[in-house]
Amino acid sequence: MIDPVTLEVIWSRLISVVDEQAAALIHSSFTTVVREAGDLSAGVFDRQGNMIAQSVTGTPGHINTMANCVRKYIVPRHPIDSLQSGDTLITNDPWEASGHLFDLTIVSPVFYRGRGVAWFASTCHAVDIGGATMGGDARSLYEEGLAIPLMKLFKAGDVNQELIEIIRANVRVPDQVIGDIYAQQVGNQVGARKLIEMLDEYALPDIEEVSAQILDRTERAVRAAISALPDGLYRDEIGIDGFDEPLKIACALTVEGDKLAVDYAGSSPQVDRGINVVLNYTHAYTTYTLMAALAPGIPNNEGAFRPIEVRAPLGSILNCRRPAPVSARHLIGHFVSQPLLTALAEVIPRQVIANGSAGLWNTMMDGLDAAGEEFAYVFFSAGGMGAAQDRDGLSATAFPSGITGVPVEAIETAAPLLMHRRELRPDSGGAGRFRGGLGQKMELEIITGMNANHSCMYDRTGNAAAGLLGGKPGASGEVALSDGGHPHPKSHYVLRPGQVVTLKLPGGGGFGPPTLREPQRVLDDARQGYVSLAAAERDYGVVIDVETMTIDTEATKARRKEMEAGK
Amino acid sequence: MRLLCLQPPLCLTALRAMTMMTGDLTHPYGEAGSGMPTSEYLLAVDIGGTFTDIVAFDPQSREIWVEKLLTSYPDPSAAVLDGIRRLLEAQGMSPDAIRYVTHGTTLITNTLIERKGAKTALLTTAGFRDALEIGNEGRYDMYDLALVKPAPLVERRLRFDVPERILADGRILQELDADALEGICAQLEAEGIEALAICFLHAYTNPAHELTAYQQVKARWPKLPVSVSHQVAPGMREYPRTSTTVANAYVQPITERYLARVDDGLRCSGIEAPLNIMLSSGGTTTVAAARAFPVRLVESGPAGGALAGVYWGKQLGDSDVLAFDMGGTTAKAVLTRDGELTVSNHSEVAHVHRFKRGSGLPLMVPMIEMIEIGAGGGSIAHLNRLGLPAVGPQSAGSDPGPAAYARGGAEPTVTDADLLLGYLNPEYFAGGDLSLDLDLARCAFADLAAALDLSVERLAWGVHQLVNENMAAAARVHGAERGLELRRYSMVATGGAGPVHACGVAGGLGIRRIIIPRLAGVGSAFGFLTAPIAFDFTRSYVAKLNELDLSELNKILRSLETEGRAIVEGAGVPADDISAQLSIDMRYVGQGYEVRVPFTMGQLDAHHIAAMKSAFEAEYRRFYGQLADGVPIEAVNWRVLIAGPAPQIERLSLRSATTASDSPIACRPVRFGADTPARQTPVFRRDQLSEGWRAAGPVIIEEAASTTVVLPGWTAQSSAGGCLLLLQGDQR
Repeated sequence: MIDPVTLEVIWSRLISVVDEQAAALIHSSFTTVVREAGDLSAGVFDRQGNMIAQSVTGTPGHINTMANCVRKYIVPRHPIDSLQSGDTLITNDPWEASGHLFDLTIVSPVFYRGRGVAWFASTCHAVDIGGATMGGDARSLYEEGLAIPLMKLFKAGDVNQELIEIIRANVRVPDQVIGDIYAQQVGNQVGARKLIEMLDEYALPDIEEVSAQILDRTERAVRAAISALPDGLYRDEIGIDGFDEPLKIACALTVEGDKLAVDYAGSSPQVDRGINVVLNYTHAYTTYTLMAALAPGIPNNEGAFRPIEVRAPLGSILNCRRPAPVSARHLIGHFVSQPLLTALAEVIPRQVIANGSAGLWNTMMDGLDAAGEEFAYVFFSAGGMGAAQDRDGLSATAFPSGITGVPVEAIETAAPLLMHRRELRPDSGGAGRFRGGLGQKMELEIITGMNANHSCMYDRTGNAAAGLLGGKPGASGEVALSDGGHPHPKSHYVLRPGQVVTLKLPGGGGFGPPTLREPQRVLDDARQGYVSLAAAERDYGVVIDVETMTIDTEATKARRKEMEAGK
Repeated sequence: MRLLCLQPPLCLTALRAMTMMTGDLTHPYGEAGSGMPTSEYLLAVDIGGTFTDIVAFDPQSREIWVEKLLTSYPDPSAAVLDGIRRLLEAQGMSPDAIRYVTHGTTLITNTLIERKGAKTALLTTAGFRDALEIGNEGRYDMYDLALVKPAPLVERRLRFDVPERILADGRILQELDADALEGICAQLEAEGIEALAICFLHAYTNPAHELTAYQQVKARWPKLPVSVSHQVAPGMREYPRTSTTVANAYVQPITERYLARVDDGLRCSGIEAPLNIMLSSGGTTTVAAARAFPVRLVESGPAGGALAGVYWGKQLGDSDVLAFDMGGTTAKAVLTRDGELTVSNHSEVAHVHRFKRGSGLPLMVPMIEMIEIGAGGGSIAHLNRLGLPAVGPQSAGSDPGPAAYARGGAEPTVTDADLLLGYLNPEYFAGGDLSLDLDLARCAFADLAAALDLSVERLAWGVHQLVNENMAAAARVHGAERGLELRRYSMVATGGAGPVHACGVAGGLGIRRIIIPRLAGVGSAFGFLTAPIAFDFTRSYVAKLNELDLSELNKILRSLETEGRAIVEGAGVPADDISAQLSIDMRYVGQGYEVRVPFTMGQLDAHHIAAMKSAFEAEYRRFYGQLADGVPIEAVNWRVLIAGPAPQIERLSLRSATTASDSPIACRPVRFGADTPARQTPVFRRDQLSEGWRAAGPVIIEEAASTTVVLPGWTAQSSAGGCLLLLQGDQR
């Protein structure tokens, strides 16, 4: 039995080991998706494939799916004792890993004194995986690119050259894709080396006992957090844009003692466009959202998942059947966070936030550059987050995804694009006692003189982010072309030279009734241009004298009285 | 007089003299202090949050004098001038015997943290005034739904945008709209702004529009301080570049006023020597350059501390050094590579959460790479959410301080643990100024120990070990991010708690050699003395190696060199003593992080291209192990460092103890493990040890500023220059 002091020392060391793994991966990566957007995860697992620790980088869609992938699919088929030192496995199976073919999960066993003792894994978003690019257009998985079923990437240290050649032949930018695969391998190797140093230093045969204790303690801490909630059934449902037809996500949380079950029964059935979500991904965003609301500060590992059960009907949009198309699954998957937090608002209003833009806006452009060479470039952008009980929502900030945006200068250096404008979108934050975060507005043009293919993956163009407890919804998003027309927000179209496409990203919902917002805060927002004078009066009932930029107190009182009377 | 020649219990004695605020204090150490004034002195001044330290060095006699006084508020220059005046008077130095003065200050950092800078406006490319607020769109803590981001230094209504556009390759797409700018200027005047930052897209590749805008604003308003991004932070990525430029503008007026006061004050005191300002990169520069780029002065104090670490390492023949400083609330660590400090362009200041990366304002200026974590003597032990013991980052600070201080603190801290283990002497802490209460320390640990079902001593050992592991982990990840192998390193340990924890931290890193230097109480100011006059310039010029336009490149490098030489010569360095060094940031095409590769400065021609490639590959292999063969290599940033020679401060005259006695002054029971019983351990007083003294651990060595704990398995020796050297195993 390891005493608590030693346990904490070793546990801290394990965290620094996965951070070293992630540092090596990021620094040797070839793509801005991984380096600047942080679209990756890295973690260490015990012999059975239980995730013990993850690096502080990463995004829940990768971390928690990777955790399930290793434990449920990889270890049962390739028990660690059946492998040898220098082996590394790879897969991008959407159902077993992180929900679409773009994400490569690469897993290496670690051997110590001749025996398998742990696994290091990482999941990274490949910049391309072949197929019909990244939109939601595909009608089945087979149109979405190259599938790599679970297989060996390295065998006793030798790379699987046939697989590398197959990947090379299938993707648009092979150097970057293969480069990142090597970067993942480098990260796993660094992790393994550091783990072995740790085992030497603490004279441990493996990490089994450390893992058992950490997972057990984590599980108990999460159960305690759940127990603090009153038993009961909490529900919410939201409408989202879908591809052609609007969709519904319904969730029912059942709290029973120290257990929590989430059931998505009642959600829409799967569709024949690439926005379906596999259960593994639904699970990842559900557990992430619950951990952030109920148990921030408790480590995210296999033990945290145990008290939480996640169900969705097979064949539904949140648990689709093979071979449904899934390429843009995050468009829907990120939204499970929204009804979950709203359902919990009833019991823990201080710990949740209103709905926000939720889905990242993914812009992908491909075509030929001025030199006639093929280019493919993808970047992510964020709208506004929902407000909380005591503060405004964050503007242009990704949630629940953990990625970061890419600078305009980096975009324009890497791809033949011109961004004409990128700024916050006034009046897009939902009104409320606390205002929702603002979305942003971008204007893009292609500067090759040739057509380019623009794949859109944008949501909340129809369904705005709802406010909470009296707060108003944020503005919905919009995609528009300079010469008229609105491209399909989840499809692709040809962007012609001279055309400018405008993206207006959605804002977050407000929290509490807008008439309770301090007039001074509304005035400040108006002075800074976050809220227009018209909206100050219309949405908040605050009348501002344009000449002096001061509050007309009497008029404000009168206007607010009218609003509260429902006029 | 409150002047001291450098002698062992230096800083605390000085401190006591200062806190007592008695008028004169007779010099306690006889001749050295009252020696004949020599012809020349070098002076270094460091303003910290609490103390202002002044160090004077006489290159002929190689003696050092130290003055420590309270930092004066609101005008820190008062203490500087006061201290210098006292030092001159007391020592009988003539003001014209001062050869130069090097100065560093926390003023700029504090201005940013406290948000007390000038009313600043920002001018951007039309459509991009929110880059400063949009930031990187990320959250620095994924699980914190209540996350707060740092507010921009310029509020939105003072961010103006003007039509103009330059493309990524430097071509002008749209000319700057001078009429629109004229209108903006009128608004700026109406607002009564005090400083302006200009940051246009892609200005790092083509600064034409920033220059035009600068000239137009200056023509209309000559006295307005204006910072332009291509000069302050020339590099890609609009958010950090804007953030840096804005920070520069924000602190510029206050820095100008301050530096003018110091400079004028020195002249009034009759000191004609040039005033050099310490930079965060580890070099020093002229007042004029510091006034233009005040943001480069951020964290100059810690930079001085790092230089001191390098200095002491070199004195004992070590070039790979981990300088480790542990105080009351934080621990800092700096790593050298091949004897040089590593300087990076990515840092942050004014964090919302002090120890959370990403919660600060990004700065893209050359800064010595440094890690800081919430681990100090005052760090509080508690149970984390897994029911396991954890230490920090919450700290009891110095008020109320650890429980043992008996100032009302009741939480168990690292210092309490160190006392319970026997490392600290309750009767001789801070030179005897403060006595520690063992019972209060025990009391503070009782609840936590009971909750964990451990004895108080076992828990104290655990807390000591945990804080060591936290520091080692931070250093390890820092090293991993830079491809450094720490096992080969020596540690230089400073700070009140540094020497207590040095062996433990070193053990966790595989480090086997530790130096406990002298002058630890004024380490930053002492480090300033060792800094060369240096300034570096960076220019972005992105191109594949085989596509470099060499004539263009040579032109760029020559202009950077000329500009740098002018600054360094302006600081009084003879032209022949100035050196220029080139380093190139390179990467494989498609990568986003560059590897910095030193390269020979001089006229570049075609045959240098192959050399650049192989230099890059050597560096890359060192970092990542494996090359990406076949992928083209590109150069991104060209950095030219112009430097004068580093001052030669060799063989400091640090005299041996006045009353040498190599026998222990006491013996006490001390714990060195979880389950091992306390061992009777000899205690020495550092100021009584003679040169060449050796003892095998466990040994405790006390001095006024700190306590050195020599673990079993380590040997301590008193080396030349008064440093303590700790060696693991049977090294000699």
